[in-house]
Amino acid sequence: MSYLGQQLVNGLTLGGVYALIALGYSLVYGVLQILNFAHGDVYMVGAFLGYFVELALGGPTKSFLPVPLMIFIMFAVSMIGTGLLGIIIERFAYRPLRKSSRIAPLISALGVSILLQNAAQLLFSANIRSYDTSSFIPSTLGFSIGDVTVDSVRLTVLILAFVLMFALSRWVNKTQVGRAMRAIAVDRDAAVMMGIDIDKVIRWTFFVSAALAAAAGVMNGLLLRGVSSGMGFVPGLKGFTAAVIGGIGSIPGAMAGGLLLGVVESLTQGYLSTNFSDFYTFLLLIAVMLLRPNGLFGKKAIVKA
Amino acid sequence: MLEIKKLTMQFGALKSISDLDITVNKGEIVSVIGPNGAGKTTLFNVVTGIYKPTEGDVLLDGKSIAGKDPAVVNRLGIARTFQNVRLFLNMSVIENVMAATYAQTKSNIFSSALGLPASRKEEKEVRAKAEELLSFFGTRLTGYRWEQPAYSLSYANRRRLEIARALATNPKVLLLDEPAAGMNPKETQEITEVIGRLRSEKDLTILVIEHDMHVVEGISDRVIALDHGVKIAEGSFDSVATHPDVVEAYLGKGSADRK
Amino acid sequence: MTEQTTPENLGIGTDEWVAQHEKRLSRRAGLLGIVDFLNQKVSPLVRYLLLAIFAVGFGALVHNLYLLRIAANLAVFLALTLGLNVVMGFAGLLDLGFVAFFGFGAYAYALTSSAQLNQHWPTYLSVPAIVITTAFLGYLVSLPSRRLFGDYLAIVTLFFGQVFIQLIISSDSITFPGHEDSVDITGGSNGIPGLDQFKLFGYTFKTITDYYWLLLVVVALLLVAITRVDRTRVGRAWRTVREDPLASQSMGIKVNNLKMLAFIVGAAIAGLCGTIYAAIQNAVFINGFDMPLLTLIYAAVILGGSGSIPGSILGAFVMSVLPEILRVQNYSEILFLTVLILAVAALSKGWKRFGFNASLVILLGLLVKVISSALSLATTPTSTWAVGPVSKALKYWLLMPANRILWGNIAFVLLIALIANYSIAKERVKFYLLPLIAFIAIFVWEVRLVIEPNTTRQLIIGMMLVVLMIVRPQGFLGKTRVEVL
Ligand SMILES: Nc1ncnc2c1ncn2[C@@H]1O[C@H](COP(=O)(O)OP(=O)(O)O)[C@@H](O)[C@H]1O
Ligand SMILES: [Mg+2]
Repeated sequence: MSYLGQQLVNGLTLGGVYALIALGYSLVYGVLQILNFAHGDVYMVGAFLGYFVELALGGPTKSFLPVPLMIFIMFAVSMIGTGLLGIIIERFAYRPLRKSSRIAPLISALGVSILLQNAAQLLFSANIRSYDTSSFIPSTLGFSIGDVTVDSVRLTVLILAFVLMFALSRWVNKTQVGRAMRAIAVDRDAAVMMGIDIDKVIRWTFFVSAALAAAAGVMNGLLLRGVSSGMGFVPGLKGFTAAVIGGIGSIPGAMAGGLLLGVVESLTQGYLSTNFSDFYTFLLLIAVMLLRPNGLFGKKAIVKA
Repeated sequence: MLEIKKLTMQFGALKSISDLDITVNKGEIVSVIGPNGAGKTTLFNVVTGIYKPTEGDVLLDGKSIAGKDPAVVNRLGIARTFQNVRLFLNMSVIENVMAATYAQTKSNIFSSALGLPASRKEEKEVRAKAEELLSFFGTRLTGYRWEQPAYSLSYANRRRLEIARALATNPKVLLLDEPAAGMNPKETQEITEVIGRLRSEKDLTILVIEHDMHVVEGISDRVIALDHGVKIAEGSFDSVATHPDVVEAYLGKGSADRK
Repeated sequence: MTEQTTPENLGIGTDEWVAQHEKRLSRRAGLLGIVDFLNQKVSPLVRYLLLAIFAVGFGALVHNLYLLRIAANLAVFLALTLGLNVVMGFAGLLDLGFVAFFGFGAYAYALTSSAQLNQHWPTYLSVPAIVITTAFLGYLVSLPSRRLFGDYLAIVTLFFGQVFIQLIISSDSITFPGHEDSVDITGGSNGIPGLDQFKLFGYTFKTITDYYWLLLVVVALLLVAITRVDRTRVGRAWRTVREDPLASQSMGIKVNNLKMLAFIVGAAIAGLCGTIYAAIQNAVFINGFDMPLLTLIYAAVILGGSGSIPGSILGAFVMSVLPEILRVQNYSEILFLTVLILAVAALSKGWKRFGFNASLVILLGLLVKVISSALSLATTPTSTWAVGPVSKALKYWLLMPANRILWGNIAFVLLIALIANYSIAKERVKFYLLPLIAFIAIFVWEVRLVIEPNTTRQLIIGMMLVVLMIVRPQGFLGKTRVEVL
């Protein structure tokens, strides 16, 4: 029982990270109908930014700030910096292609992904870095329910992930830009005719989606996973899968898909096999696509003739 | 030949077509008219299988085709053109027509790759057929134009090519969505004749959506007027064109009284 | 019958218009226009004949094993490019698991032709069986996305590639139910060494030359087959699917079946390539079937022109020769400077401007050099970096700071920023930016990139994909001029 509980907690934490990445895919897809393949690498940049902020603040052990403040600054700087990167990527790699075929932006995204990955490799070398969280947040800190312990890093990540998801829902539903974004997702032409500034909405969409990926990247670092130029590929793939499982373009879908994927992965690793966990996730993807081709929360695609 | 029965097509809250009944007899040319947004194109989309109707049925020779895959519908004998002309722009003129013979030809990738005699023979036949179909439009689409990419064609020629492409699928019923749109008076006159010849020479049953009343008058055995997805009038051109509901639909409420 | 002159048919669709259209194109596209021109003037038959003569001559005259190996790898790569061109170029499908099929073919060959599982199937049995199996695997992978091909195919295939790698790596200790011991099927990350050589028509393939000839035959047959298919019924239908699936469907073409067919054909070709590649390498390792190879094949298809067979050939040549050139500092410098000069010349629009820009670049370099020595900045001793004629010539002009990595990185970021800025700058600003960018590019190349050939190659590919999509999405030899929305 305690083992199951522990796996669930781990799964939810992982799922929170996936959900944040998945949201980025879905937001961009909703507005532009393109799959932003570079998203995983944007996440990687976010993790690096967080790492460098940590170093700048005195490193894991000798920080001159209280730990919560340090973590806050790491998230804030990384999210804003990466968000701006998102805007830049859109401006140079996607905007010129807005009127071209479906496949051109996908290829361009592939190019951006390769560029980001190798630029990071060139600038930061191939070494794997670590946030070294355990030296400033003792792993004994935390709480237990029964036999299940939730250490403070996991707790922080979990809470932050949910706070960000909640904030995003508010943003999408309550702000003008957020509503404009949904309007564009429903019917772009109509939105343009209603005088919505598409460029502005797209800029915001890319900013928010990159910032969420950056948050996921910093969380990943805090959870003591290695930071390196190639780190974005697998989480990017999982986030992408989560978005598809949830129904690409759907915001609640991305959240649910991410959490589901995290839990499934954690459980299969815990009970079946660590080595083949991706295989099981793949089976889940296949199953969803066969049974619900539009994803769990997706609406039926409309063909326009 | 073609029967549309109690057809309703709903998009969310919007009923583009409601409870529509239309029958088209063999060899007839029927025109569908109505203001923009009346549901005419939607009707074609339902008949050709692009949309699955919310309710009702479409019968071809007494057999239901509603909700069938567009490719299947086409193979059963219904071909169409599109209001916004959807040619394969980067392919040559003749390839556009040759591609449409796909369903009646048999070469597979092995016979093509090996260049088997059967495949070569079929290729020749397909080419001859395409050339013949293109010559249906006089000199407009013949000779050097065959190898021209479709995107280099004028608007009127694109519409003609689209008709030729539809013919290449050997249809029994042809659906034309605004064939004369964007054409000048002379070309409009020409296309009117072409539609007549399609029936007599190709033995087709034709359903046309058209805004140009001269064309409608020139070709139609029967005219059906739609407004907001509902049939408001049906009959000969003269009776429909002067029908008060039709005049009102076109000119706005009250204008029928003022007249 | 004379046409009336109205805005609608004002000459459009007439001979004159088409002739002008061609002229306009080559004039507008500048340097690329020359490519267009050659593309139109030299007949395909002549081109293929020249290529064949070259390939046969190469095999007959060259005995350098290194060159032959490169040529054999190029041939495998070319066959892969042709295969992907069917999937992505003809049918417009984004298959991101393409290399997994290649890997599957290679591993399947290794398992049926080595001591690993103690299987030594005859070549004429194993290769066809593997090709058919790979095709079937392709069919299975395409099934879940059959209704919503497009973007969904991308995710399924991308994930499939990932799962393939994980399965291969983890299948070195499988415990079957009911058994005690674990068995090693794939050799995990150690791969499978010592494969059987091909044996066809009673002849055992021994040297790389043997495989070179085999590949030549395979590539030639593949070229003929694909060209024929492209020109006939199925090829035409594929193009309609890529152009406008809805219209295609309405013409009785079963779009999904055709997409699947393209996908399966691509998988089969990749599987075939895998078997030959494994036999040439005499071993299989999983890291050869990963993203870098995938992006390289995509870059080849797209560079040459998606959908164009001559384009695939050109793209495969460029993409497989490029890494070889980059590996040798001297060659990479020559290539880089040539490309840079051509690019500056093309962007300068006019020889006077070009001369002006070139002198400005030279002045800039000297200026930096003078300032740095006035400040007595630490530099890298020339003997350690000026190895070839190019760098020897550059050492009098170019500043090579002692901390190459730091300065190189700073300049790299600056370079990217400037290039990005250039793409949206006003003409007047561009005028000043160009020499600056050229200088910094030389600096970055010599100081930083030349010592990292692998990363550099990837950076070039990434840059190329983005720029190409914006400037010339149809690639060099692609004919597609109108993109369908
Ligand atoms: N795929 C669709 N989704 C939502 N509404 C649609 C769709 N297709 C058509 N409509 C709506 O149906 C109505 C009829 O359109 P249409 O059939 O194109 O009219 P027309 O008579 O001008 O051809 C319009 O209000 C249009 O907005
Ligand atoms: Mg219409």
